[in-house]
Amino acid sequence: MNDGPLIVQSDKTLLLEVDHPSAPEARKAIAPFAELERSPEHIHTYRLTPLGLWNARAAGHDAEQVVDALLTWSRYAVPHALLVDVAETMGRYGRLRLEKHPVHGLVLSSTDRPVLEEVLRAKKIAGMVGARIDDDSVAVHPSERGNLKQALLKLGWPAEDFAGYVDGEAHAIDLAEDGWTLRPYQREAAESFWDGGSGVVVLPCGAGKTIVGAASMAHAQATTLILVTNTVSARQWKDELIARTSLTADEIGEYSGAVKEIRPVTIATYQVLTTKRKGVYPHLDLLDARDWGLIVYDEVHLLPAPIFRMTADLQARRRLGLTATLVREDGREGEVFSLIGPKRYDAPWKDIEAQGYIAPADCVEVRVTLPDGERLAYATSDPDTRYRLASCTHAKIDVVRDLVRRHAGQPTLVIGQYIDQLDEIAAMLDAPVIKGETPVKERQRLFNAFRSGEIGLLVVSKVANFSIDLPSAEVAIQVSGSFGSRQEEAQRLGRLLRPKTEGRSAHFYTIVSRDTVDADFAQNRQRFLAEQGYAYRIVDAGDLQSPA
Amino acid sequence: MHADAARTASALQRLLDLALVWESPGGLRPLTGVADAMRGMPGLASGLRPSSPEPAAAADIAARLAELSPAATAMLRHVDEHGGEGTTGAARRTVSPAEARTPAEELLSRRLLVPREGSTVVLPGEVGLALRGGRTTTEPVDRVPELATASRDAGLVARSAAGAAFDVVRRVELLLDQWSVRPPGVLRSGGLAVRDLKAVAAELHVDEAGAALVVEVALSAGLVAEAAVADGTPSWLPTDEFDVWSGRPISERWARLVGGWVTSARVPSLVGSRDAAGKAWNALAPELSSGLAEEARLLALRVLSDLPDGEVLAAGTGVASLVQRVDWLRPRCPRVFSDLVAAALSEAAALGVSGAGGLPPSGRLVAAGDLTGAAETIAPELPRPVDHVLLQADLTAVAPGPLETEVARRLHLLADIESRGGATVYRFTSGSLRRGFDAGWSSVEVRDFLHTVSQTPVPQPLEFLVDDVARTFGSVRVGHAEAFLRSDDEAALAALVHDPRARTLGLRLLAPTVAIATTPLDVLLPRLRELGSAPVVEAADGTVRVSRPDLLRARSRRGRRPAGAVEARQTAQVQAVATAIRAGDRAESSRPPTAEATNPSAALAALREAIEGGTTVVIGYVDNHGATGERVVDPRRLDGGRLSAYDHRADDVREFAVHRITGVRRA
Repeated sequence: MNDGPLIVQSDKTLLLEVDHPSAPEARKAIAPFAELERSPEHIHTYRLTPLGLWNARAAGHDAEQVVDALLTWSRYAVPHALLVDVAETMGRYGRLRLEKHPVHGLVLSSTDRPVLEEVLRAKKIAGMVGARIDDDSVAVHPSERGNLKQALLKLGWPAEDFAGYVDGEAHAIDLAEDGWTLRPYQREAAESFWDGGSGVVVLPCGAGKTIVGAASMAHAQATTLILVTNTVSARQWKDELIARTSLTADEIGEYSGAVKEIRPVTIATYQVLTTKRKGVYPHLDLLDARDWGLIVYDEVHLLPAPIFRMTADLQARRRLGLTATLVREDGREGEVFSLIGPKRYDAPWKDIEAQGYIAPADCVEVRVTLPDGERLAYATSDPDTRYRLASCTHAKIDVVRDLVRRHAGQPTLVIGQYIDQLDEIAAMLDAPVIKGETPVKERQRLFNAFRSGEIGLLVVSKVANFSIDLPSAEVAIQVSGSFGSRQEEAQRLGRLLRPKTEGRSAHFYTIVSRDTVDADFAQNRQRFLAEQGYAYRIVDAGDLQSPA
Repeated sequence: MHADAARTASALQRLLDLALVWESPGGLRPLTGVADAMRGMPGLASGLRPSSPEPAAAADIAARLAELSPAATAMLRHVDEHGGEGTTGAARRTVSPAEARTPAEELLSRRLLVPREGSTVVLPGEVGLALRGGRTTTEPVDRVPELATASRDAGLVARSAAGAAFDVVRRVELLLDQWSVRPPGVLRSGGLAVRDLKAVAAELHVDEAGAALVVEVALSAGLVAEAAVADGTPSWLPTDEFDVWSGRPISERWARLVGGWVTSARVPSLVGSRDAAGKAWNALAPELSSGLAEEARLLALRVLSDLPDGEVLAAGTGVASLVQRVDWLRPRCPRVFSDLVAAALSEAAALGVSGAGGLPPSGRLVAAGDLTGAAETIAPELPRPVDHVLLQADLTAVAPGPLETEVARRLHLLADIESRGGATVYRFTSGSLRRGFDAGWSSVEVRDFLHTVSQTPVPQPLEFLVDDVARTFGSVRVGHAEAFLRSDDEAALAALVHDPRARTLGLRLLAPTVAIATTPLDVLLPRLRELGSAPVVEAADGTVRVSRPDLLRARSRRGRRPAGAVEARQTAQVQAVATAIRAGDRAESSRPPTAEATNPSAALAALREAIEGGTTVVIGYVDNHGATGERVVDPRRLDGGRLSAYDHRADDVREFAVHRITGVRRA
């Protein structure tokens, strides 16, 4: 028996005992190939997935290293079948290669002829490849590069892409490190992205993904297209780029519903790109408007399906994906892998928090009991209105008031899903509301006021979920969420995790109606938090008065 | 002999010493019975085969061999290497060397192969000897086949063996836990269905061969047997031995499994392959055994245990070399023996008897037959059972090793298992905790258990969950009652429930104003009246049912037919009667005048006459029941022995059989 910190289960999960003295070493050894699934306080769970193993392969690890890491750190014997499976899965990556051929252009080649034969026989692939060049290679039309990679991944034979990238139109971009410096992990992330060519960088909310984007642009020294989720976040990117790089406002264009500028660095929203008129996407030209050298995808886990299709045509350009989580509620992780690229950098929240770059958070779930009347209404209501009924109980409003009073003086966000409820809360607290219909200008004004401390309390709907930088928020009170969405929870918590002055910890309250679907969904979301290592407490609304 | 002379002499001397061979005047002879006692097939070990009755001189044979074409020589060698027998197919038996067209004919013509019955040919012993240059075997027999070995750290060997040992014990336990609840059926042929085996493989995270080994090992160890379940279907069930077994330490459990395996005649490696008839072998099928299996295992282990510590079979070639060695040690065993030996090696690895291709100390003891010692030796290498878990805020509990049985059972009740292996991951949900409450746990007990079993503080959300479940647990109660009693007069109800005379009614007070009874309403009601209360019966919807006794009434008869129809029927009946009477009248009136034609020809003539004349006649007729009657008829046609006539009484044309007509007369 080996006294390692790792336990390898036959269902391909790896359990890492955190308190074990050699846990950090073991973590380092397994992190490249295993996906961290849960990181609660004592035992972290990693999972071996084909994507994870291929990510490792793409990063230059081979099966022997993986097997060796497992054998070295495992406390008990490693199931033999699992080792065989690891070797076999990893062996599948890179059997097929996409390469540039001096004569035939893009070719799919293989050193393993049967594999090539197998995939060429698949109906889907047959339509994407051209003439057979010799026994080991076949021509591929450049426009099918992305589709082919996607299809090959589905067949379980992911191709390694060696076809390289176009340099794009050169444009000088430098980081302006005046009064701030790139954090070590940001530098590492940008560098490993650049070395890998294309891929995804996973960093927790508040860890400065924008800076990683800027650093990558500085590497590329080329015109850049940045795709973001919404207009507000586009403005924030712009501000951040002006502040952190040598770029000036004239060099950065915004391409959104309101403004359509194309500059050396252009920031476009997903929405405008995916707008469809008469069955065509009128703004697709943007992708060809310039010879982009780099394309940055913000919040990769939210990439809408049409963007995937467009990305398939952009395989000759460098692509950087930024996200806090590779978890997609729609399960399209495979497409991110094949179209944007493998994971190039990953840092768990807790590690970055421990380094002091993001604020620690205190998560509390407050349970309220529905008043008898509402409880009866809830019990007799239709299943599809139940969630709303439970979420919008008046009992929550009192709790919000108590919590706001308790944290008086601290910048506070009240976040919710239902506009009526938010309006009511705003009226009661006499605070401004930001919701879908609020004009962008007004939103900006309010956000700025909040950031500068003019306003200490803001009620926001889900428009604030993504990419809005409110570093000063110290308290967030979530009154309702969109069912059990895990990434929403991550994003909302992310609002709070920007580093605080004086090392104060953030408070994250979720108000939940007891014994209803609200509580069930909340459990789902909290499980995610707990798995991210945020121990949370559950408090009864009645106990709130006494300091909990 | 193809061997060194000195070695041959010493081997012979040893045989003489053991008195297995004796020196007879005609040379050395084996002791009678020794050849029979050696199992296996004669002729496999050496190339010695019975010579032909009048063997040709060696030089002569050599000359004949020299004449052969290369193809014929190759054929002859092939026959020699494969047991000295072959079939020739279409080759002619009697040919001269000159006429020979095929290699087979060449050989036959030179009497290098001798035909036997059918198309079989045999290689005479002297030809074989000549072919091998006058020796019994082509290969030297005094050279022991080398084992291909590599050196490996003894610690690693022991560790990987222990890992496999732990796994197999865990798998058998998991399998039988499953089968205790959902036993698979026994096939009519006695095995385990392929589908069930696949399910086992999926459950245990092993391939089908691995699953077959686990079920076969469980069978060999006597932990599984056939029994009928409640509905009478024969199923594979864990035996009562399993309960004893699962309470023992892991090392002892392992020893039991290994002991069963070593001595068993079962051949798990055949599962999934096909027999001669092309039928796939099922796991646990009764025919799946071989008398050689045990010997193959023991021999494989013995050869392995001859390797020094730190030396193991080489990764690629090791197994093949060991099989060769075993072939050399047991030359008379059939070919299948080699397969059994190879299978035994892979089984030994899967069972943790061997590890990384070598035998750890525990494996050596198994090879020596000392299972108790083996168990003691392997025990320190196995994961130590742990008595604690780590509770985490995401409502999971992780046992970082095999849990002690008692703790495991209790935890399994309170939480669902998410992942198994060296460690076990449990997840608490409100459902799983409720299961615990259902089994009689209280929230205090659950908390106490969690506190004692957890090495770390119990996370607050888990405590909250326990309390939450406890709060809702039993908030609605369900029971069975025959009747209920309710009253706003609490005192009256209490008095009734406590009345000693009402004891037999099974009354129980649920609330101050509600009681239930275990007596049905029709018994309860009169008894309550006897006790002096005046109950009112409530219907299911809560309305009061008036307690007036029901007056008994029969059901009135259902509606009659309409008058008109009855009348019409009566009229028809009257008419029919009138018609019949009239016909009778006519018969009566016409009876005396004409003489009756009683003989058949006269009757026929009379009938023909009546047909021609269109007159009415009276016929005597014997009906189906043998009764004689008279009919008044107008004959129409007569043919084929049948009379077709208008019957006045029936008012219709009828057919009459002529042979039944007794007489005819005019009407």
